[in-house]
Amino acid sequence: MSVIAAATRRTALPTAAARGIRPGRVALHGFLIAMTAVWLFPLFWAIYSSLRPISDTIQHGYLSWPSGGLSLANYQTVWMQADLPYYYLNTLVIAVPAVILTLLLASMVAFACTQFSWRFNLTTLMIFTAGNLLPPQVIIVPLYRIYLSTPIPMLGSIDIGKFSFPLFSSNGLLYDQYIGIMLIHIVFQTGFATFVLSNYMKTISKEITESAIVDGAHVLRIWWSIVLPLCRPALAAMATLLFTFIYNDFFWALILISTGDKRPITSALNNLQGEFFVNNNLIAAGAMLVAIPPILVYIFLQKQFIAGLTLGSTKG
Amino acid sequence: MGDSRDPSRIRVPFSGQKIQIPGTDIELPMGLDLSRRDVLKIAGYGSLAAFIAACGGTGTTTTTTSVTAKGGSMSLGSYLSDAVPKKGLQDVVDAFTSANGGTKVKVNTVDHGTFQNQINSYLQGTPEDVFTWFSGHRMRFFAKKGLAQPIDDVWNDVKSNFTEGFAASVKGDDSHVYAVPTSYYPWAIFYRKDVFAAGNYKVPTNWDDFKALCEQMKKDNLTPIAFADKDGWPAMGTFDILNLRLNGYDFHVGLCGGQQKWTDPKVANVFKKWAEITPYYSPAFAGLTWQEAAQQLLHKKAGMYLLGLFVSEQFVASGNPDDLAQLDFFPFPDVGSQYDAEKALDAPIDVYMLAKKSPTLGSDSGQAKAFLEYMSKGSSQITYWKASPGAIPTANDADPSQYPALTKKAAQIVSSAKRITQFFDRDSRPDFSGPNSMQGFLLKYLSNPKQDTGTLQGQMQSFWDALPPE
Repeated sequence: MSVIAAATRRTALPTAAARGIRPGRVALHGFLIAMTAVWLFPLFWAIYSSLRPISDTIQHGYLSWPSGGLSLANYQTVWMQADLPYYYLNTLVIAVPAVILTLLLASMVAFACTQFSWRFNLTTLMIFTAGNLLPPQVIIVPLYRIYLSTPIPMLGSIDIGKFSFPLFSSNGLLYDQYIGIMLIHIVFQTGFATFVLSNYMKTISKEITESAIVDGAHVLRIWWSIVLPLCRPALAAMATLLFTFIYNDFFWALILISTGDKRPITSALNNLQGEFFVNNNLIAAGAMLVAIPPILVYIFLQKQFIAGLTLGSTKG
Repeated sequence: MGDSRDPSRIRVPFSGQKIQIPGTDIELPMGLDLSRRDVLKIAGYGSLAAFIAACGGTGTTTTTTSVTAKGGSMSLGSYLSDAVPKKGLQDVVDAFTSANGGTKVKVNTVDHGTFQNQINSYLQGTPEDVFTWFSGHRMRFFAKKGLAQPIDDVWNDVKSNFTEGFAASVKGDDSHVYAVPTSYYPWAIFYRKDVFAAGNYKVPTNWDDFKALCEQMKKDNLTPIAFADKDGWPAMGTFDILNLRLNGYDFHVGLCGGQQKWTDPKVANVFKKWAEITPYYSPAFAGLTWQEAAQQLLHKKAGMYLLGLFVSEQFVASGNPDDLAQLDFFPFPDVGSQYDAEKALDAPIDVYMLAKKSPTLGSDSGQAKAFLEYMSKGSSQITYWKASPGAIPTANDADPSQYPALTKKAAQIVSSAKRITQFFDRDSRPDFSGPNSMQGFLLKYLSNPKQDTGTLQGQMQSFWDALPPE
């Protein structure tokens, strides 16, 4: 397919150039440029605001040329005042183990459901997929109670600067702990990850696993040494998606964490607002900084990310 | 790694009733299996208490009945999250630590919005010993739910330092005291002195003068009254003051509390009166935030603005000291009713309270109460105010000599008010003051102020009636 498409494109290009600029193409590009401008406008507006001191915008309004010059002062203030470095760390402490564990667990379920035929394998898969459809808000009250009455061992903590990262728990409970947030992310993301991974694994031919069995590999060995390496593109795409999902989450930490210093980066922006007065330029600077990591992840894993979007879409 | 689950460290919340060991501060949750170590501990404390009681020295009795304790540690949950008030609190906490024998204070700062939204789950979970909160219905609600600890003992020691108005504002429905008031700010009509001087405007003291002034400003191409209601709550300030002036404090409080009916013709009068000044409001106010309306005042595009003292923050942020120097205010004009004499106004009070479910309150109670006593001193409130001058100290012995003119005047109009309310969303149920209820109703009213408000009032009342019991 793609070879034919490439060939047609190669033959089509010179003729288009020879024919000169067609009005259709002008309209198309005009439309594309306009759409790009519309989409980028708020972003550039935010960047522009973030470079101006609040007094400048109060004196002259947002629709004005900078009179006092542009500076990175807001970024500096945000970095210090909102303790951003620590909040990045908070999110990492939650997101990295959560992504790894989700992928491990989801690949196990997908492996068992697709590589072996047993009575309830389809049912199991459906349950996992259905769990993905449950709105998190539905379970929040019972979850809050469960978290408050689940004892978790306290095994000391690792102190970094003024923040302290407890091993397992710092208050003997699941409530108000990194591990609690990590767990609920794993639970909720496993459904989606299982769905995607199982679709991918269905394309792995049975012969490969069967020959592994003949060679004497046991189930875990097949999973770890045969199936997982074959799933690498799917796993990379899932890792990108999951990281973005968990990075962007605001909801779980809002309800299950009561210590301000343990909240993830998304909530750090709120620390920049006063009870009444809001310095929008400062918030714009903070929002820019907070948006950087997912953008970086996307740029570096773009190939997998796009592959991941269509994963399993054409595979029965 | 071994078994590090120390049984005494695993807390079981919601264990229901508790019994207190006589002579000690230890509370025992009932119906909980205790480890051997716990039993020994209790036996130890018990016999110690018995021993002290047996010794019966007069000197020891005074120390054991002391409300506060020095040294040790305590925790504090704070919504003072943005830089300025956060530093103010840190200054006070540091001063408290050195004044109270080195008490370690662990401060948990949660951003203001989240703290308010999550207060319910926060107080039922693992709250800190002391927390920052608001007076009014918001305080009484959590007192009634048993999530706040009464502090009558602290109040007995400090009450001479507060006026009666403040004393009334910290009492729960059971007439126990639940909070220590530390700061407040009034709502009033703000204006720029230079604009009033240039237009030769006089501060209006009655309704007719007020309307005449609006008319004059309109002729002079000024927006007479800056108004913004995108966030829903600012309009409630105007409703409060009109209702207070026309129908009096008792009716207003009754209305907020559900003892009075929204269908009362008195409420219709408020809306009718309000409609007389809505033509003078900022254009497209439903899409403006208070900061944008304050901006109109700052830029001399609007003449007056009814808002809280926090409007000055916009003037501070403008970076031009002259803007702040020009800012002044006057109390809402008399409307010619018998309630004008009350001089009532909204002056929300911020308080500190004790969280009953705090896992550490049992051991930190003395330190936490010492902190509350410390916060009730004028000198500590001034320490906070110096770093964060947005609100005014509540204590009688707070030295006003350092206040700028605006703060002095604000303190003065509140002290001359015979009745003080807290602002609608602090005086009424939270589920009646939200965007779907009162805020929405007021926006609906403001979209057509000349309407017959009968239907709207009916909707308000049926919304109230449909609310579940608190």
